[in-house]
Amino acid sequence: MNFLYFDPSIGAMIVQVIVAAISGVLLFSKNLVYKVKVFFGVNIDQEDDINIEDSDIEKKEN
Amino acid sequence: MSYKKAHPSSFRDPSGYVFVEEGVVKRSITPLYFKQYTTLKESGFFSKLFKNNLLVKHEELSASEVEIIIQPEQIPFITYPYEWSFNQYQQAALLTLKIQKFCLKHDFSLKDASAYNISFYKGKPIFLDTLSFDFYDKNKPWRAYKQFISHFLGPLLLASFHGSKSLKLMSNFIDGIPVKMIASMLPYKTKFNPFLYSNIYLLSKFEDKHNENNGKSKVPSLSKKAQFNIIDSLYNYIKKLTLKEYSEWGNYYQKINYSDDAFVLKSDIINKWISNLNSKKIIDIGGNDGTFVRFLKPKIDHALVCDIDVNAVNHNYKTIKKNKEDHITPFVLDILNPSASIGFNNTERDSFLKRIKNFGPDITLALALIHHMSLSGNITFDMSASFFASFSKYLIIEFPKRTDSWVTHLLDNKAEFKDHFDFYNIENFELHYANHFKILEKLPINNSERVMYLLKHKHD
Repeated sequence: MNFLYFDPSIGAMIVQVIVAAISGVLLFSKNLVYKVKVFFGVNIDQEDDINIEDSDIEKKEN
Repeated sequence: MSYKKAHPSSFRDPSGYVFVEEGVVKRSITPLYFKQYTTLKESGFFSKLFKNNLLVKHEELSASEVEIIIQPEQIPFITYPYEWSFNQYQQAALLTLKIQKFCLKHDFSLKDASAYNISFYKGKPIFLDTLSFDFYDKNKPWRAYKQFISHFLGPLLLASFHGSKSLKLMSNFIDGIPVKMIASMLPYKTKFNPFLYSNIYLLSKFEDKHNENNGKSKVPSLSKKAQFNIIDSLYNYIKKLTLKEYSEWGNYYQKINYSDDAFVLKSDIINKWISNLNSKKIIDIGGNDGTFVRFLKPKIDHALVCDIDVNAVNHNYKTIKKNKEDHITPFVLDILNPSASIGFNNTERDSFLKRIKNFGPDITLALALIHHMSLSGNITFDMSASFFASFSKYLIIEFPKRTDSWVTHLLDNKAEFKDHFDFYNIENFELHYANHFKILEKLPINNSERVMYLLKHKHD
């Protein structure tokens, strides 16, 4: 259950459907470029990755 | 329900509130949030966040049927979004997205995305609001999306296009910069960028369109995969944002107007004084990019380094990140207009003075600062002395004499008003500072026109 203690704005909820679709296309093309770069062996900066894997946490624990 | 007095900033979320008991910050959780709190705790999600240094650690002090009390790790000095440099702001935004993605993967979601949920501690941004985590409502859009745009993406875009000084706008918009305003301030060409078009212009249009529909519109369904897309693309875009500006102070120490010997001598004097006083908490006002704090030999627990120059602060933050330094907190501060108390009742976000008094520095450093305050800011010696005295036990202050090249330059800028600044001399300085401080030591720096003072507050 969400407690609506601030107005999330219904417009902002609806627009996310379009934003997500556009983001999907952008990410798809970005991934394509990424794969091409990897194929040609271009060095890709992996710093500040968004993903936190549970396996990383376990490694930290050990 | 409770006898404890909630902190004036803690009233928005009914899940609980922050209170201060004998100087210790604690959090009370109401039964409204018990289910979330217990699940977060028992599923091990809290400890995952702790282990990744994403969320401030806490321990549970007590739990009853009506209230759970937790005590978070105490952060000695909270900085606010309008005091962050560009890269700090950027890292805070990325951290929020990182947490949201991690939450979604574990079927939780951030119910708000306020920039005030984050502060800097041990050289890194950290999420402070333990009660921001809620269950993920299947196929529901992210309710904090708009808040994220107006608190993070918007200010960062404005900084990127108009310079990092625009981050100061956040002190006037405590609930984030309105999306419509962001849209109006971006260059026309940004309309052709699909990412900006959808996240800013379309959002602004949709907000307007559905503004007065009084809850008639249905919240659309949005798959988790689609929400990941939004978050990933926000993350990728923000990560690549850069500043396009040049700083005159950014490489101050390369331009400094006294010889290397004088610099070494100055740092030797300060090192001796700090180590004699065994100071652990310091503030360096006008500390530029933190160069001087890095020259300190005694071990300091917390060093606050503030400067008016956003680029110098940014440089400091980058150095902290690169060297993995955990004792320096950099922030932007205009000494002639320090951050005020803002928000409802003027008590939500504390002023710089209130926070620095709570922090209670053992020593205040004011190096190469007094001539700027007095000659550029027209602040009298009496005013600056009483300002420093309001929070400093000891003050190390550097006085550049009238013959110093910087002082001469500043005085020449005054043109025909130059005569109004006759008060700027060492005798007057000592006379007025003596009203608040006792002069413990006074050492001239050889090969320069500057004098170092170690002062002690008269009432301490």
